[in-house]
Amino acid sequence: MNLLIIKWSRKIFTAGSVFLLITIVVSGCKKEAVQTLPERNWQLTWSDEFDGAAGTSPDAANWVFDIGTGNGGWGNQELEYYTNRSQNVSLDGNGNLLITARSEPYAGSSFTSGRIKTQGLFSQAYGRFEARIKTPYGPGIWPAFWMLGSNIETTPWPQCGEIDIMELRGQEPNIINGTIHGPGYSGGSSITKRYGFTDKRFDQDYHIFAVEWTSDKIDFFVDDYLYQRLTTSDVPGQWVYDHPFHIILNVAVGGNYLGFPTSQTPFPQAMTIDYVRVYKPAN
Amino acid sequence: MKKYIFNNSIIKSFLALSVFFLLNGCKREISGLSPVTYSTNPDVFIDGFSAGLNYGAYGGSVPSAFHVDSSITYNGSATSMRFEVPDQNDPKGAYAGGAYFTSVGRDLSGYDALTFWAKASQPATLGVVGFGNDFGSSKYQVALNNLAVNSNWKKIIIPIPDPSKLNGERGMFYYSAGPENGKGYTFWIDEVKFEKLGTISNATAAILNGVDKVQSSFIGINTTIDGITTSFNLPAGVDESLSISPYYFNFTSSNPAAATVNETGIVSIVGTGSSKITAKLGNTDAKGSLTINSSGSFTAAPTPTKDAANVISLFSDAYSNAPVDYYNGYWAPYQTTLSADFEVNGDHVLNYTNFNFVGIQVSSPTIDASSMSNLHLDIYLPAALNTGATFKVQIVDFGANGAPGGSDDVSGDITFAAPTLVANNWARLDIPFSSLPTLLTRRHLGQIILVGTNISGFYADNIYFWKNPTIPETPVSAAPAPTIAAANVLSIFSDAYTNVPGTDFSPYWGQGTVSSQVPVAGNNTLKYEGLDFQGTQLASNQNVSAYGFLHVDYYTANSSSLNVFLISPGPVQTSYTLSVPTSGASSSGWSSVDIPLSAFAPVDLTNLNQMMFTGNGNIFLDNIYFHK
Repeated sequence: MNLLIIKWSRKIFTAGSVFLLITIVVSGCKKEAVQTLPERNWQLTWSDEFDGAAGTSPDAANWVFDIGTGNGGWGNQELEYYTNRSQNVSLDGNGNLLITARSEPYAGSSFTSGRIKTQGLFSQAYGRFEARIKTPYGPGIWPAFWMLGSNIETTPWPQCGEIDIMELRGQEPNIINGTIHGPGYSGGSSITKRYGFTDKRFDQDYHIFAVEWTSDKIDFFVDDYLYQRLTTSDVPGQWVYDHPFHIILNVAVGGNYLGFPTSQTPFPQAMTIDYVRVYKPAN
Repeated sequence: MKKYIFNNSIIKSFLALSVFFLLNGCKREISGLSPVTYSTNPDVFIDGFSAGLNYGAYGGSVPSAFHVDSSITYNGSATSMRFEVPDQNDPKGAYAGGAYFTSVGRDLSGYDALTFWAKASQPATLGVVGFGNDFGSSKYQVALNNLAVNSNWKKIIIPIPDPSKLNGERGMFYYSAGPENGKGYTFWIDEVKFEKLGTISNATAAILNGVDKVQSSFIGINTTIDGITTSFNLPAGVDESLSISPYYFNFTSSNPAAATVNETGIVSIVGTGSSKITAKLGNTDAKGSLTINSSGSFTAAPTPTKDAANVISLFSDAYSNAPVDYYNGYWAPYQTTLSADFEVNGDHVLNYTNFNFVGIQVSSPTIDASSMSNLHLDIYLPAALNTGATFKVQIVDFGANGAPGGSDDVSGDITFAAPTLVANNWARLDIPFSSLPTLLTRRHLGQIILVGTNISGFYADNIYFWKNPTIPETPVSAAPAPTIAAANVLSIFSDAYTNVPGTDFSPYWGQGTVSSQVPVAGNNTLKYEGLDFQGTQLASNQNVSAYGFLHVDYYTANSSSLNVFLISPGPVQTSYTLSVPTSGASSSGWSSVDIPLSAFAPVDLTNLNQMMFTGNGNIFLDNIYFHK
């Protein structure tokens, strides 16, 4: 928890130019401008731009709802009850999806929220998975954009694999984590890295969170800045990222990942998703 | 010579140049003044006072509460600030409090928060900490109230509501803390500085507690925008509420021709029309607004004319008012009535909005109105009169215990409707206690309760109890001299006219009344003492059908009933009731009445033979005549 690692500075120095160094001094955090990555060509395979009337549910051809409290608070002692009500999951009429966590008694829970997934409707192995998101905030608020191996019904977690493209602890609204969970390295021993800002927060503006996934590595990006590369040699167990995964968007309330909301947590809290796009490498 | 001239010309040129430069230099100094730049030093107290920092203790606080401490410091730094909160009843002062300020301002516009570390010798709540207090106008003061501290160092963040305002700020830090449960303790503060965090987010702001308020108003009224609140989401994702100066807000009037608003949120109504007052805090729109609907110039309630000696006033600028507990008791749970009282050019007016009922209470002490005869109040309905609109006035006497409840409370009420109630004008309600038979006593009046039906709101002014001045039993001045020309008069009893002859003013009809004629200020006056009834026998029957009115001047200090009769043979007689007593009718105590003769139908006006007065008390009469 004491590791706020912001690795971009090292990348900048490896670029080794005095001119670039000056640029940094003047403009602070414009690290995207100086990171040089190989050119990639992507071809869109699937997307949801969340266009539609305000208050309506996201396209049922793309998303299904998880409802209820799962098993043991979705395995994490989470406190929310997921519903498919528009109060928790709906389009905002301006091209965004809102997943809203609320403090309200509902079906025995103290909080409601939403969790939607493409399971059974869309899954893909490899490619670029990205979403443009403005996060919620506040202690105990846990928004996530993530993926599970679509063989989960037959191959239980963590063997199926999990790729967390973005998770945020609401008490640290300036830091996200990119994480993978697999056999022998799941839960508290997952492979993860923090990426953050010192002078701004993820709830103030939209940011693009993405992974670029090939057979032997997964690259994690924020606003097209590569902050973590995980390869087959980085995991202590089996590399299980060799089959299709589906996408999940949710806002959890409480849970053993981040602790519980306090009386000071502002409610309601909405994650605003502009789009989710999936690409495959173009030839 | 030539050389000299040459030299001279050089000197002249040089002088000319000098002058030019001099002028140029002056000009540059005047027009080229660069804006005053203030220090952007963010440090307040790091390991000691930052440059230019002063400290002053607040009045009533322990002057020596603040120390520079070198033993307990945050993160092992050289020194911290130590504050010793006194025990209750410490003779040196009641609390620890003071401000750190600079004599020259600092430009803090590049920062977004004041931050510091704090710990205390025990868990405690600091009453207030903040910045912007400079022992002067403290224009941009920010207060974080009730800050919980404990024995661990804790970083405190106080966001700057709108950094762009702090271009020359002198108030760097201030604090005030009192005993915890009567006991003193110690707290430390260290590393006090302004920072640019960037991770403060989601500012909220509200005026009028976030309510969109609509208010009827008039030219000359000033209204203050209050209910200012703001909160900021701190880097830890939690909201923090601050009390801030209205100067941080930018107020706007949608129609400055109707209402203007200044930088402290005082709204001045300057014209007729509607104007919506809104505010922004930085780029954040404040919730809440005030819509002023100005109907132009205010019509003040008529100024009371009763002598203050005969008045007990509860609300009037014309009198000193008795101590009133409240003009709106906000009686839960059923009362909806709100108050938006205002003042126009020194005239205070009660303004009740969202009206269903409201109580005015006067219990410390209650009012002894036993010598008073009436309750007066002026009310103004600022909207069209609704169908079925009624206005009930209830007067409550708390009884001997002087407090509401018990079995000794009594009350009386009276209800007004159109045409007494009028829209957009003052209705002068005057309620004689004699019209409230259930108000058995008025020695301990404690409440006036106003209850409306179909009345959304009203203004009230001049609420007072009154009585007529006391007049002597016997008049000291004569009845007013008649002014009607004798040609138009048929006089029965007057020194001003020739009376019909032979009238008997004391025929014995079995009455108890003692009738006599007495001089009053040299004027012959008819006196009926101990009136029960008293006849008047005309010497000859009179035809008064050519006249329009019967005029009577009368005076009584003690009568509660007086009637006058005209009688024609039969007898056919009809009475007319005169208002008594006559105290207050005029300064002399004389009352004058002109009764249309039609009021005496079916008496034969062509053939009057008698008159009669009935009633009680001692009555003085003069100038009894018929006139056209």
